[in-house]
Amino acid sequence: MAKPSGRYSTRHFDGTKTDWDGIMERDNHQEGEAQGVKICDPPCESNPPAETLATSLSLLGNHMFPDPVESKDSNVTTVNKEEPPDSLLSDVTAEEKSLDAEPHSDHVTKLQTEETDNSECQNNVSTQPPDRGTEDAAADNDQSDSGEFVVTMLAKAKLEEQGIGVKGRSSPLLEAGTQEYPAFMSHRDEDVTADSWRQHRKHVFVLSEAGKPIYSRYGSEEALSSTMGVMMALVSFVQSGDNIIRSVYSEEHTVVFLQKGPLVLVCVSSSRQTEQQLCGELLYVYYQIISMLTQASISRIFEHKKNYDLRRLLAGSEKILDGLLNLVDSDPSFLLAAVHCLPLASSLRDNLSQILQKAITPNLVFSILIAKNQLLTIVQEKTVIEDTRLEPADIHLLLNLIGASSAFQAGEIWTPICLPLFNPDCYFYAYISYLDPPECTVCLLLLSTDKEAFYAVAECKRKIEEAMMAQNSLSLIDKVHSYSVSQVGVSDLRHFMYKPFDVPDNYRQLTQFTSPEMEAPYGSEEEKMRLLDLYRYMHSRIHSTSRPLKLIYHVAERETLLAWVTSKFELYTCFSPLVTKACAITAITKLLRWIKKEEDRLFIRYPPKYSTTPNPSKSSRGGKSDQQDSTDNGVLSLL
Amino acid sequence: MPEVSKMKKPDVKVVLLGDMNVGKTSLLHRYMERKFKDTISTVGGAFFLKQWGPYNISIWDTAGREQFHGLGSMYCRGAAAVIFTYDVTNWQSLAELEERFLSLTDTANHDCIYAVVGNKADITDPKAQLSQDSDVASKDRTEIEEERTEPQVLSACPTPPASPVSFSGITLHKQVTPEDAVAFYGRILRYKGLEEKSSLPAEKMCFETSAKTGYNVDTLFEALFDLVLPSILRKRSENQESPTVDLEECRGASNKRARSACC
Repeated sequence: MAKPSGRYSTRHFDGTKTDWDGIMERDNHQEGEAQGVKICDPPCESNPPAETLATSLSLLGNHMFPDPVESKDSNVTTVNKEEPPDSLLSDVTAEEKSLDAEPHSDHVTKLQTEETDNSECQNNVSTQPPDRGTEDAAADNDQSDSGEFVVTMLAKAKLEEQGIGVKGRSSPLLEAGTQEYPAFMSHRDEDVTADSWRQHRKHVFVLSEAGKPIYSRYGSEEALSSTMGVMMALVSFVQSGDNIIRSVYSEEHTVVFLQKGPLVLVCVSSSRQTEQQLCGELLYVYYQIISMLTQASISRIFEHKKNYDLRRLLAGSEKILDGLLNLVDSDPSFLLAAVHCLPLASSLRDNLSQILQKAITPNLVFSILIAKNQLLTIVQEKTVIEDTRLEPADIHLLLNLIGASSAFQAGEIWTPICLPLFNPDCYFYAYISYLDPPECTVCLLLLSTDKEAFYAVAECKRKIEEAMMAQNSLSLIDKVHSYSVSQVGVSDLRHFMYKPFDVPDNYRQLTQFTSPEMEAPYGSEEEKMRLLDLYRYMHSRIHSTSRPLKLIYHVAERETLLAWVTSKFELYTCFSPLVTKACAITAITKLLRWIKKEEDRLFIRYPPKYSTTPNPSKSSRGGKSDQQDSTDNGVLSLL
Repeated sequence: MPEVSKMKKPDVKVVLLGDMNVGKTSLLHRYMERKFKDTISTVGGAFFLKQWGPYNISIWDTAGREQFHGLGSMYCRGAAAVIFTYDVTNWQSLAELEERFLSLTDTANHDCIYAVVGNKADITDPKAQLSQDSDVASKDRTEIEEERTEPQVLSACPTPPASPVSFSGITLHKQVTPEDAVAFYGRILRYKGLEEKSSLPAEKMCFETSAKTGYNVDTLFEALFDLVLPSILRKRSENQESPTVDLEECRGASNKRARSACC
């Protein structure tokens, strides 16, 4: 995306191997410390390897992008995070200039300017008929052995692509997919050749390094196997030049690649989010997969068998990934990397915490109470948590699992789950049960390190249930609602998100944020999404790696937004469109005062702890006999 | 399910095993809640307590996904009954029982009883489409099976027949016959080293059900619960003899529950 400036040099791929090597050498000299973050601009003369890339891109383009013309404009770049120096202007003043502008307009313009830089030579390459491109690439086989794999893949993908693209429904792959999952007649069975499929705002694909499809958000993986093959070809091609592909931009779409271990994750988005944000979302998808299988077992599997079909292990988990992606789109927790807790009178929250604190059993490490998919309280084991803290992302994954797993809700679920940021290689065992069937809004989640502890942990639930009944907690929880922005008492304020940063005295506290309900004019799904998109835009400006901003005053078409980040907090506010800057500043002062006053209600202030591990090493003991295990449980529970 | 304020000690454990998508959760849901609804793939295992007369029966509804395979032996530990579930329209689901699930029963009770249940019978069998619960008569269904070659009873794993596929979802061809199930039951007994004569007869332990219409569902669970009664009575008398129980009972029932259910 960004034009090379200074130490970054443009790399021209050349047809012959020797030249290529020569260039690489030169690049290495020039680039010095900037490893892995490189730009590869397409060359002006068409030469075979570049064509391979261009061809595969246009293949991808044909399939992914609705307008065939568009794909020809697609801009091949591995992006480096440095932005051009000309954008290093003063923050606030620069923003104010775009008073009436659409939120993304200046972003778009920038993109386009950069695209024109490349477009001449780009067109030259990619407007060639794809057929010729493939032939050329195939002819190049013996010249460049690094390209061989890519070329083979592409030729194969090309054929399949045509089969699917032209003849449509008759693809045998598609039929196979439908046959295998007759129970899920949902996104899985979408016709991947249809326009409606291409129109999805955000596609997410997961594939293995061998190019095997693992997951697709829309459409069956089988039907998309050739598309995924092309994606893998792109990744390998760039990799063969000791480079890493990170993103591809076209007019309408951003394609972001993320490689994690043996998995490759790809996002094709028309949401106008930044590469950084999309990459963060892909990371959540990766973590969710890890939470089900652990990183260690995934590496082990692919070490043994490079072309293993991971769907065997993930079959049935698609809904969990689907659910995650829907949450990522609709819940700002993911954007802010913070947990949203339900506002609760601190006395009630303390009571609930105490109930959890008293119902313990050996090897219990976390007790979490959730209502309406938001956190009520969380109690942690003292020693386990001493050096590490529970990351918001892990809680997000847990919340998503609960949302997607309530098979039928009167039961008590016992399942292994890995918290990837806590430890990506080990399982916890999660006990999940609803406390208020049949409504099922209050959920108890207990995490143990002992696989066999179900009955002991289930007993903790009985204790919690009893104590809550004695204190009438359920009906108190039932009355709790998220708050309305009108309670703040600032007339022009429509919505806000406030994320305080850790302060030294509660250093190990969970990162949280608070936010009122989205009310009119953001009642409808579309409007909600529009506001979230505005927040995402503001967030991207605040967190831009090249030019981070501290304060943005942004006048959008139908509202005015102000985002402000300090060492103490990060704040995003949304005002009615006619508010003046002075008004907004006053309003924010009022808002901050209100939050300070309500702090104890809005946040979990000091997550309480308990101690349950008289024998912390127990969990690591693996192959013990059953007899011993149960005796141990018996003895320990008598202590 | 009624709210359990006071802890009930489960007397006996029943486990549902089978490949994903065969309808284990739906079967249990039909039996417990008298309803059929879309379920989502079970995560790990789900534990239910069913009051059966004076007894408490714990039922584990396990996930069929390979991802959770490692947990299977934990769910099966000390089980008094195992329900092997397959999908009558999917040959592979029966084959999977033998390949993946049979060995999980190694941790079950030595006198554990085994049932083989073919679910989704409503798809292939007009009789099962009626929502009333008729008696077991899993013998004569020939109309839909014309293309099937007669499988050899007690052969090792027969090869799956060519599977005709229908997208309408109404008249999917039956891929597994009751005879196949009976043959599999024989192989279970052989795997467990049980005498066919002294074990429960196959006719009694093989069922075809439909969670959707409720066909045979109550029959299945009730027959099974009646059959595990001896196991419950024996366990109760064993518990009375155990000297440790008194100690635990002084401490409250909680600890005993953790113990007794695991061994």
